[in-house]
Amino acid sequence: MGNVLVWVIWLAAAAACIGTGLRVVTASNPFSSALSLIGNLASLAVLYLLASGEFVAVAQVLVYAGAVMVMFLFVIAYLGGRADAPWAGGTRLIQTASVIAAASLLAVTLVAILLDAGDRLSDEADIDRAFGTPSEIGRLFLTDHLLAFEITSIVLLVAAVGGVVLGMRSAAEDDAEVDAGEAVR
Amino acid sequence: MAVGGWICLLAPLIGFLAIVLAGTRITRRQAGLISTGSVFVGFVGAVYAFIEALGRDPDDRVELTTAWTWFKAGDFEVGLELLIDPLSLVMMLIVTGIGGLIVAYSNGYMEGEDEERRYFAYMAFFVFAMLMLVQGGNLLLLLVGWGLVGLASYLLIGFYHDRRSAVEAAKKAFIVNALGDAIMALGFFLLIFHVNSLDFGVVFDAAESGELSDTVATLAALGLLGGAVAKSAQIPFHTWLPDAMEGPTPVSALIHAATMVTAGVYLICRTSPVFEAAPEVQHLAAILGLVTLLVAGVVALVQWDIKRVIAYSTMSQIGYMFVGAGIGAYGFAMFHLFTHAFFKALLFLTAGVIIHRLDGEQDIRKMGGLRGSMPYTHKTFLIGSLALVGIPIFAGFWSKDAILASALADGGALGWTLYVGGLLGALLTGMYTFRLYFIVFHGKPAEEPHGQDEHAHHGEGSRWMLAPVGVLAFGATFAGLLQIPGVWEPFEKWLEPVVEPLVTPTTAQEWGTSAIAVAIGSIGIFLAWRAFQADRELVPEGAVRRTLEHKLWFDEVYDAVFARPVQAVAVRLRDQVETPVVQGGLDEVADGTLDAAGFAARAQSGLLRTYALAITVAVSILALVFIVVR
Amino acid sequence: MLGPDVPWYLVISAILFAIGISGVLLRRSPLIVLLSLEIMLNAANLAFVGFSRAFGELDGQIFALAVMAVAASEVCVGLGLIVAMARRNLALDVDRFTELRG
Repeated sequence: MGNVLVWVIWLAAAAACIGTGLRVVTASNPFSSALSLIGNLASLAVLYLLASGEFVAVAQVLVYAGAVMVMFLFVIAYLGGRADAPWAGGTRLIQTASVIAAASLLAVTLVAILLDAGDRLSDEADIDRAFGTPSEIGRLFLTDHLLAFEITSIVLLVAAVGGVVLGMRSAAEDDAEVDAGEAVR
Repeated sequence: MAVGGWICLLAPLIGFLAIVLAGTRITRRQAGLISTGSVFVGFVGAVYAFIEALGRDPDDRVELTTAWTWFKAGDFEVGLELLIDPLSLVMMLIVTGIGGLIVAYSNGYMEGEDEERRYFAYMAFFVFAMLMLVQGGNLLLLLVGWGLVGLASYLLIGFYHDRRSAVEAAKKAFIVNALGDAIMALGFFLLIFHVNSLDFGVVFDAAESGELSDTVATLAALGLLGGAVAKSAQIPFHTWLPDAMEGPTPVSALIHAATMVTAGVYLICRTSPVFEAAPEVQHLAAILGLVTLLVAGVVALVQWDIKRVIAYSTMSQIGYMFVGAGIGAYGFAMFHLFTHAFFKALLFLTAGVIIHRLDGEQDIRKMGGLRGSMPYTHKTFLIGSLALVGIPIFAGFWSKDAILASALADGGALGWTLYVGGLLGALLTGMYTFRLYFIVFHGKPAEEPHGQDEHAHHGEGSRWMLAPVGVLAFGATFAGLLQIPGVWEPFEKWLEPVVEPLVTPTTAQEWGTSAIAVAIGSIGIFLAWRAFQADRELVPEGAVRRTLEHKLWFDEVYDAVFARPVQAVAVRLRDQVETPVVQGGLDEVADGTLDAAGFAARAQSGLLRTYALAITVAVSILALVFIVVR
Repeated sequence: MLGPDVPWYLVISAILFAIGISGVLLRRSPLIVLLSLEIMLNAANLAFVGFSRAFGELDGQIFALAVMAVAASEVCVGLGLIVAMARRNLALDVDRFTELRG
């Protein structure tokens, strides 16, 4: 009984994942794309939970869906959500080539998975209750993967600085704004 | 001893690097002081090592110190090692001591020159290179030092690089030296091939124990001799030395009198076991020395440039040293090297004082009567000349005659030839040296010496120039007293453990030879005086004089036999091979690459989309490959 | 293990990745391109978590967290770029930026 419930939840989450994913790529309104992505992230979080990655799931929701996507929405709001038709970009040739490329990549990967599904990929390790808990992950971060931890923080710092720099107004822009303001007056 | 040795070697190198790295941030005077100081520090190091060596047993005075292993090739291993033993100590003291005095002198001589810093840097570099040569613990390091002094010589001869004659002279020196180096390198290859090492110890053991066949030993010794002959300007590789006088006078003093040109003598003494294994080559060295001694002496009789006379004199005196080394009288050859360094440097430096005072005049026909206006210079030059001719008690007396006495003791056809030839050389020495002395210092001044007035209140020269001259004059007077036959022979005893002489003259032979040599030398002085009084030349006009003036036509012969044909071949190769085939081929390749690049550039569309597409395609292909392979 | 085996997770990951790639290649607005990029990153994360479950090692999840952090930084910078573009009144069209041509 428990297994059936898990399967049902899993299938629902997977379907939602793929569905929202498709919507992100095909919507013409950027707002719709962004909101679909939030849905995508949420369903992924469910999948993580089912794979015993509790901390990752919560981090996903908090950080990704909570912070990153909100940022995205801010920018889309600021830019006015210009519409953009799905098939408007590139020449016909490039479009077909793109679809074929993505499809072939998918095919290759699926084949790889299916071929090995019998042997190695079915290995399931026995895990204890502490698998995926914050304490375990925290311990690993501070012992085995300390370098990655530190470097990641540096990357974040750099990105923050970069964001500020990119957002700075240049003198020319300020002059243009002032001129525009005066013209209005 | 090792500490002293390392200090001695590295101090000039540090001086050189300091001047080079500081560039124009230091003044010219500072560069001169750094250079002088570094060489003197080297001297202190050498003295320190010397004193330490004195404190040891005579048999215990050899020290080999290794910095690290330089390279290995199969079984062949070479280390950066220094050999400090009595022989190298003598050279170290001479190079840094006399070198230091000459660099100090340069501070005065080169003042006001445009590129003083370059000069002082090169001088420090030269001292370092020469020290590496004499301190090298294996033949490879010796070769490194050998090549580097050749480089320093080239740089310093061509110091006045806007003078075409100087540049030509520098090239000539370098090419002739390179020829000698090549011959020497061939000798080294032979040694490596047979002995699998360039360590002194290994090579000498092989030579002494008869491990090397006669042919190999002869060829190796010939290789070494070739290098020595070129570096020491002996016939037939001597043509570069007179031209080398284009360099500044202190350079001539240091490199082309006291140290670099004596490196050949040092080499023969150092590698004496190899030469002793090939006696014919050793005798050849003596014969070449004799020929050079006489030829140079005769050519010196007709020179009008003060520096050229002294240069030929150097060539001649080194001939004596080669005679000494050639018959196995290593100690005496080195002793003559030692005294010669003093009085030859002295002669060059005093000539430099004169040249400096006369604003660059080097023609002795334009000099004369300087006895009155330059008394200090006059006295020091006279001391140098007396030492050169070998008048007691001055230095040359003790050393040159020791070599002649050894030739006498050797006996046989070779010994007697060398003995008579050497005495003839003494006659010539007296003649050309005092011809020079009389013309320059006696008689009435040829014309108004230039700039007489300004120099009048500066005296004969700056203190920087006159003080080293004084020290050298002192040395030229008393340095010979380190070897009084039958009474006190420290120099000979000092070198004996390292280089055992093959012949040793008896005390009677030594004093007897000295008496004869002094007499002959005095006859030479007398002949010069007579000619001067009669206002005529020692060699009258005619075919003989013309030949001597052309230096026995050596330059012309070499030019016709070697230089012209090679140039012709080079021109033909350039016109028929280089330009059409090589250059043309390269041009074609360049054009073709440009065309291909233009074609490929069309793929750079600039569209982000296409790049991303390309990446995706590549990734899928790679994935496919991975799956198929695994 | 309850529920589907690990290969199922990997299949979902592959499909999401392909969707993301087509989004990057086919859309014109840089905003949508950035969103598709996020999908790709998430697909990778899913694969990591899945493998982590398969081998019983937590390293996969650690890496997923690192990827999340990096994705956040990248979005920050990317959005900064887009805003800067908009401020200079440049058209928000990926096909217009051809200065790499040549």
